[in-house]
Amino acid sequence: MNKNIIELSDITVRKVKNLLLDRISLSVSPNEFVGIIGPNGAGKTTLLNVIAGFERFEGTLNLFGQRETWARSRETRLRIAYVPQLFQIDPVFPISTLEAVMTGAVGRLRLFRSPGKQEREKAMRLMEMMRVAHLADRPLGQLSGGERQKVSLARAILQQPDILLMDEPTANLDIAVQKEVLNLINEIHKRETLTLLFVTHDFNMLPTAMRRAILMNHGKTVFDGDINTALSGEMLSRLFQYPLQTFERNGRRFVSYG
Amino acid sequence: MAEQLINALSYPPIQRAAIACVLCGASCSLLSVFIVLMKMPLIGVSMSHAAFAGAVLGLLLNFDPFLSGLIVCLLVAGVLGPLSDRTDIAPENVLGIMFSFLMGVAFLGMGILTRTKAGALNLMWGSLLTLSASDIVILGLITSVLVLFVFFFFKEIRSVLFNRRLAASSGVPERLIYYALLFLTGAVVSSNLATVGGLLIFALLVQPGATALQLTYNLKHFFLISAASGIGACVSGLIVSYIFDLPSGASVVLMATTLFAAAYIFSPKRRSAKLRKRSISHEDVAR
Repeated sequence: MNKNIIELSDITVRKVKNLLLDRISLSVSPNEFVGIIGPNGAGKTTLLNVIAGFERFEGTLNLFGQRETWARSRETRLRIAYVPQLFQIDPVFPISTLEAVMTGAVGRLRLFRSPGKQEREKAMRLMEMMRVAHLADRPLGQLSGGERQKVSLARAILQQPDILLMDEPTANLDIAVQKEVLNLINEIHKRETLTLLFVTHDFNMLPTAMRRAILMNHGKTVFDGDINTALSGEMLSRLFQYPLQTFERNGRRFVSYG
Repeated sequence: MAEQLINALSYPPIQRAAIACVLCGASCSLLSVFIVLMKMPLIGVSMSHAAFAGAVLGLLLNFDPFLSGLIVCLLVAGVLGPLSDRTDIAPENVLGIMFSFLMGVAFLGMGILTRTKAGALNLMWGSLLTLSASDIVILGLITSVLVLFVFFFFKEIRSVLFNRRLAASSGVPERLIYYALLFLTGAVVSSNLATVGGLLIFALLVQPGATALQLTYNLKHFFLISAASGIGACVSGLIVSYIFDLPSGASVVLMATTLFAAAYIFSPKRRSAKLRKRSISHEDVAR
């Protein structure tokens, strides 16, 4: 029996004449924490979009052992949650922080059924885990970028997914807030039974729980393996076409921009 | 003056105008919540021109102008949905192209129309006092469908308004809600063509929502305030037009603008944002 939760075989995505993904093949096992790393335009977000069902593609995609196309059933969508990059929201938009988190539960509810006490309690528990429970009644648009990303994580977990896709969730945040969000992602990995895919171009801001890295460039995978092997000066210098050196601290590799 | 108004309400055309005003205010203002929060005011312009172009074509071909307006509106909604989902064309550009194309069709039709230009002008400016009972029934049916849509799909609507992509990724039938919204916009606009007219309806599709945006952070209250301001603008506009013998459509739109201006000036949201800004700058000074 096939154990992989995600399987891509020869996945290609074209936009007009541009090849965004070029025959990508990879597989991910349940509960794995995978980083997808590469420079801008490498195809990282497109890869995430293919798995999330936002992008049309050629090739074969299997999710949960079933062949999937771009159009997804509600059941499949429910099992894949998505945390986007920090997005702008109008400060006067009429939604509270708690209501925003509870939108994660809407897909699971039947038609004509409103989120009730049970969903509210679950949402509050997750907001406590993400340290934003005290902001429950505050309009979402009035929250800082870091607080909004924590709300996004709580919203995604409330969906009760099997796969969590994160597209540069720490981009455009202060360093201290980035670190805080990464610690929360580590906590999610420890507490929830989830397969996590984390897209980033910042290799110094990786969650410590991440063990596997897929390096991408020009729509292709150039490396797939252990995170510490991926973070070698030679490999990254070639990938980013810029001289980079790496050093080790507390058992983790970091990159120096020299 | 009150007695004069009550006397006027005993005449069937005035009764029909009053009912149409309430229904027009309710339907347009509920739609304006979507239009304002999804930041797509061009949808209102495109749809009103689609309804207008369809109605002019109807007049040209001796066909019921409401039906032909509705058909063209629904066709435009059917084209707009899939087109605005394409990532290679910006939705604003799609709407802009559609709007100018439909305006061209409408004015071409107006140019060809020789005998019934007055009918076409009524569609442009609206004519509350010439509404028939069937106009009111259609308007009532479409408004009811819209109210039921908002009531039964409130949680899905909130998710879609918050973020379409996140809604889709969490299993909400986001496309269904969006397309339903487009079709309802078409139906509401075409059924209201005879009340405030193709040109002025655009104001009612934006201003009640923009008024509510100044006043509340709660989406349920947002719908209620928007509906109250839309109905209020329509009813007060009709009264003003009756008393001062002014064109009804124009009076309604000017009342809607007045309500928006009042909400903007007295907006508690703007005031609290200002206070917050001031307290942040005081903290900076203290540091």
